[in-house]
Amino acid sequence: MIGVVPTLNACQGEHSLGFTFVGAKGPGEDLFLSFHDLRLAAQRRAAHFAAAGLRRGDRVALIVPEGEHFIPAFLGAMWSGMIPVPLYPPISLGKLDAFMDALVSILNVARPRVLVTTERVGKVLWSAVGRIPSIEKMLTAESLAAEPAGPLPPAADLRDDEIAFLQFTSGSTALPKGVMVTHGSLAANCLGIVRDGLKIRPENNDVAISWLPLYHDMGLIGFVLSPLMAPISAVFIPTLSFIKNATLWMETLHRHRGTITFAPNFAYALATKRAKPGQIARWDLSRMRVFGCGAEPINPETLRAFVKAMAPSGLKPEAILPCYGMAEATLAMSFVSLDEPMKTDRIDAERYHGDAKATPVTNGAAVLEVVNCGRPFPGHEISVQDEEGRILPDRQVGELCFRGPSVTSGYWENPEATKAAFRDGWLRTGDLGYLDAGEVFVSGRIKDILIVNGRNYHPQVIEWLVDETPGVRRGSSVVFTRPGPASEEIVVAVEARADDPASLKARIVARVGEELQLSVADIVVVPPGTLPKTSSGKLQRRKTREQYLNGSIGKAGRGGSTRLAVARHLALSWVGRARHEVRKLFGG
Amino acid sequence: MAERIDVVEMFKQAAFEVDNRRLPDLKSDTVIASLGMDSVAIMELVSYFEEKLGVRIPDEELSKIRTVRDLRDTIARLLPDRQFAA
Repeated sequence: MIGVVPTLNACQGEHSLGFTFVGAKGPGEDLFLSFHDLRLAAQRRAAHFAAAGLRRGDRVALIVPEGEHFIPAFLGAMWSGMIPVPLYPPISLGKLDAFMDALVSILNVARPRVLVTTERVGKVLWSAVGRIPSIEKMLTAESLAAEPAGPLPPAADLRDDEIAFLQFTSGSTALPKGVMVTHGSLAANCLGIVRDGLKIRPENNDVAISWLPLYHDMGLIGFVLSPLMAPISAVFIPTLSFIKNATLWMETLHRHRGTITFAPNFAYALATKRAKPGQIARWDLSRMRVFGCGAEPINPETLRAFVKAMAPSGLKPEAILPCYGMAEATLAMSFVSLDEPMKTDRIDAERYHGDAKATPVTNGAAVLEVVNCGRPFPGHEISVQDEEGRILPDRQVGELCFRGPSVTSGYWENPEATKAAFRDGWLRTGDLGYLDAGEVFVSGRIKDILIVNGRNYHPQVIEWLVDETPGVRRGSSVVFTRPGPASEEIVVAVEARADDPASLKARIVARVGEELQLSVADIVVVPPGTLPKTSSGKLQRRKTREQYLNGSIGKAGRGGSTRLAVARHLALSWVGRARHEVRKLFGG
Repeated sequence: MAERIDVVEMFKQAAFEVDNRRLPDLKSDTVIASLGMDSVAIMELVSYFEEKLGVRIPDEELSKIRTVRDLRDTIARLLPDRQFAA
């Protein structure tokens, strides 16, 4: 299997394919970097890194928002077998302190010797650098673009089991975990994506277009490394430009004759909301082969609304491509076949919640709609397992498990977390779902992580904030998500004897917003003692969520039916695992 | 002569347009993060100001803005020729 570095090394003379950076030379002026030039640019960075004393295996932290600076620096580190650590830049209003804390905690795990950033971002990073003892040097991305004094180094001869880069998960977590992506797992996943998933062939004249951040797996592996491996050209829209003006995404697909793009669910909602009929009529999206959707739970309504709104642009319904993946699998685990429109499974909600079975719905029953996420790539396998690791039959709901050459070798210097992530050679995804004739359906998350707009949140962290609100007792709140129109939304249930529930709610919204910049969609205040608890007196998240969704929340004494026994058993074990994980994370 | 720019009123209008939120109690010393808007909504809101006022707020300035007044001051610096409500 040929890896990323040998592929880049073979790009000498490739002047027509390459990367385009929208607006990088000024408003309306794009920058094109051919793969030939990209190879040279990466080599130059590698020479600068060598001059800075970096050796194979050393970590290089990258906080570089601009793709035209980020990509050569990232590939330049990989070129010599150094380990780049891509990180998100500070981009939101007034969250500098929280950003710095997260940065310090990640980098004190990764222990990079060098931090690469831009002159502008560097100005705000100095206060954090002093708190990261491993950092010997800060280099600006601009200085790395200069011609180095020494010779350009040859590509390192890298083994498949060497680490290519570390991928830290995007949410704010107390003890960050860095997924080790090896050169072997990276090549396996990229090949799965371009050859089996996207079926890239020279005659398709594919152009991949993305606004996804490059420090995120979908942007980096899906749109930098996979296109390079294919090889096809790719076009990058600055993430912030897209967020500020979502129509830029479709506009760029139109203008650059794009055929492939990917985004999380929320982006499709945003694009639908922002696009004006006049623009849609002007756009030609008929070339688009793939509108991929993944990285957060897929809401079929969002994708249907998008297809309907964009119909005048010539968008083909079969271009919609739900997929399933996670950083621990490098990126992608399963893709829907290219020639099919989005397919969903309508299952009986009662049987799903009650006895963990995904039964196609019969007349009149309450329906759960679950998106079909397709099949794993050749050489990879997905199974559904119960708590004891027994493989479950089709349409039985359990934990989705994955194995194959794309799977990570574990978390950076964290054998305990690595051990917990695997069982009998299977990666435990922490996601809940089922299989039907080899096709994967993801129905929820077992893991105690809440995903909102593509970012991960630990509910415990939010619950602690709620607990600190005046008027709330410790351990009397539960945070969970409900499906929202665009992304999952945060719901807080809290036990309190509130004289003035409205002002209590406002204080909680303000506290959570201020600390985490997270929007609380709903707050339920119930009398003390009415939320479901475990035998040891801990509140049960999963059960509370169920009660919230079926409207029985706060009505104590409910929920004793034997039909719910299986769900309760599952809920208890999830809570148990969540608590175990929290104990591990916070050492208490 | 162009009219005075009232950032608090514009903020209320923006929050309604991008996030369907009514913020009758918004003041210039309101901490923006305390409004509980997520990062996507916040960036849409920034974009609303940029479009309406024809100004571009540099990315690295954004992380330093805490309150509505900080936002007003940042925009006022970028538009020295315009008048702003206090």
